[in-house]
Amino acid sequence: MTHKILVVEDELEMNRQLCEFLANAGYETQGAHDGGVAVELFNSYAPDLVLLDVQLPVLMGTDVCRVIRETSGIPIIMLTARTEIDDVIAGLEAGADDYVKKPFDPSELLARIKARLRPIPTLTDVSELKIGPLVIDVVGHEVRRDGVRISLTPLEFSLLQTLAEKPKQVFSREMLLEKVWGYQYKADTRLVNVHVQRLRSKIEDDPEEPKIVVTERGVGYKAGQP
Amino acid sequence: MRFTSPIQAFIAFLRRSLQARYTFLTVVLSGAALVAVGGFLSYSIGSGLFSTRLDQVLSDSSRSVSEVQNTFSASSATDEVGLQSLMNSIVPMLESSTTSEPRRVALMRSPGQSTTQILQSPISLDLDTTVIPEDLRVMVRKSTGRVVFQSVTLPVVNGEHPAVVVGAQIEVPIAGLYELYLVYDLVSAQQTLDFVQSTLFFGGVILIILIGGVAYYVTTRLVTPVRVAVEAAEELAAGALEKRLTEKGQDIIANLARSFNSMAASIEGQIGTLNKLSKMQQRFVSDVSHELRTPLTTIKLSVAILEQQRDELPENAIRSLDTLQSQLTRFEALLGDLLEISRYDAGAVTAEFEMADINGIVGLALSHIEPLAQARSCQMVVDLPAGPVFAEVDGRRIERVLRNLLSNAIEHGEGKSIDVAVGESDTAVAITIQDHGIGMTRSELDRVFDRFWRADPARKRTVGGTGLGLAIATEDTNLHNGWLQATAKPNEGSTFRLTLPRKQGVLFTQSPLPLGVKKAAAKKDAKA
Repeated sequence: MTHKILVVEDELEMNRQLCEFLANAGYETQGAHDGGVAVELFNSYAPDLVLLDVQLPVLMGTDVCRVIRETSGIPIIMLTARTEIDDVIAGLEAGADDYVKKPFDPSELLARIKARLRPIPTLTDVSELKIGPLVIDVVGHEVRRDGVRISLTPLEFSLLQTLAEKPKQVFSREMLLEKVWGYQYKADTRLVNVHVQRLRSKIEDDPEEPKIVVTERGVGYKAGQP
Repeated sequence: MRFTSPIQAFIAFLRRSLQARYTFLTVVLSGAALVAVGGFLSYSIGSGLFSTRLDQVLSDSSRSVSEVQNTFSASSATDEVGLQSLMNSIVPMLESSTTSEPRRVALMRSPGQSTTQILQSPISLDLDTTVIPEDLRVMVRKSTGRVVFQSVTLPVVNGEHPAVVVGAQIEVPIAGLYELYLVYDLVSAQQTLDFVQSTLFFGGVILIILIGGVAYYVTTRLVTPVRVAVEAAEELAAGALEKRLTEKGQDIIANLARSFNSMAASIEGQIGTLNKLSKMQQRFVSDVSHELRTPLTTIKLSVAILEQQRDELPENAIRSLDTLQSQLTRFEALLGDLLEISRYDAGAVTAEFEMADINGIVGLALSHIEPLAQARSCQMVVDLPAGPVFAEVDGRRIERVLRNLLSNAIEHGEGKSIDVAVGESDTAVAITIQDHGIGMTRSELDRVFDRFWRADPARKRTVGGTGLGLAIATEDTNLHNGWLQATAKPNEGSTFRLTLPRKQGVLFTQSPLPLGVKKAAAKKDAKA
């Protein structure tokens, strides 16, 4: 199955090169040069993954991200030339799963795309997991709370599933980066922080006092006791 | 601070407080002046009182003497009883005749006479004749009728009184020569003098206290603007650049305020300019890096696309592609280093300190450099302490410093072994990296940390450093308040030593490891 990637980048040359590079790597690609077109193409082209530049005409990358997240949980990787903390955080909070800094290594970008499109590996053969009041349907990729389905992105689902599979273990941010994001080396641990916050806002009664995804001070995160 | 004595504590207090010092000085000086003036006053009043009283006493006694003499001369008594009763009447008469204080009287027969009549010597009841000095009696006998006097002390019930004894010779008919002595008690004059002195003393004490108070008030008034200026200067130094003093009047304090304000304005202006320049620099660096990122990414993508089609390319194109790839890597490294060093120049670098195991950081740097070391078949001889060596560092930066030093050692080590050692003390940790390669001369060593400086421009660059590695390493070290030092001998090798404080803020004076170039233990092995 060939994955479809929507490349949103306003630099024409770079957009073209990105598309060609990804096509050579075996993906189907479609370029978009501004935020408005990106949103239209997202609906008509139905990509499996979106590469999203932050600085875009018409609609900023973070806004495109927000629009996509309203209806879909597909992987979004931000391309950012700015490494200032606020920009990266803003992108992640808008719903991006991951980000790469320009100038990135094309091979590195490819690794990130592969990691996001790879099916989530399951450690257990159990079809259903419980974490606090939540029931995770591993096969159906669904999370229910009191029978009501909660909509999570695949990344958030993967994060929750990883924690739920080993309810007694405390996961460090580095471990989660490796298991959920597929990073083999030290990466930005803020990725974990931001996504735990997003996940909590969807599943917790009070995200300020989390009971399902609990912070272990100085260590990382673990599943809350049921 | 501890003081061994209250005097030292007092001196220390005077050193600290300008007011106290000047108040103390004023009190001491005016006290000395008061003592001098008071002493003079007391002396002149005392002597004035005494001489007035003496004049009075002398005229009084002269009159009495002539009265007594006249009484005897005019007496018609010729028998012993008559003379004795006349003589006896003299004493009460003289005792009471004086208007001022009572005087004591003695009428004594001069010794060494042979007259027919010897009369009893009448003496005031409360007079002890030993008060009358013998030399005065001798003088009286010689004075033939003139009045002579001498100051004596008069014993009383509790203590003694100053007194004057006045004497004169009286001729008593038939009975011969007698000596009349009048003893004047001067205690009232002494009391007056005592009163004057005590008044002077207490007046002086009150005056000194008042002077002290006034001096304290005045110095405080004087010091207050200085203290305000000191506080303002401290606030200014702490960063409140807008701090100013109120300028009032034309005096020296107003001048101080004006000078302070103009200084503060100048500092504020300078710092403002520097801040602006620094912001511009940071902005420029950020803009440059941002602008360069897009073309650089595009170039990298193009190279990657060519790489994907490597098999279809002709051989010379593949060589060009490899060159492109390696130069691109170098370009990126150079850009990264340039940006890093300009961030340092702009003062925009902050370290993220955390407690970390130095052994772990050394291990990480070694693993990063491993492929390069293997390519040059360079043996790493590592000497680490047994346990973890914790220090408060920015691990990422220290690892970068070590990687730089290791890469340098490999580049200049000529394939011989490289010694890496970690040492620790209570206050510091140190890492030395020593190669046994070409080394450096003294003049080369002096320039080794300069930007873009290379040991030998003619030498082939194989590792491809940016020339900024040691400059950045120096900046990283300075950020940690540590030392980065080097020593070298030509053809024997170079040693770099990084010394870092255990914790930020801890001072160290010595590095736990020596800095020197040792002959390699593994040198033979390396040659063989």
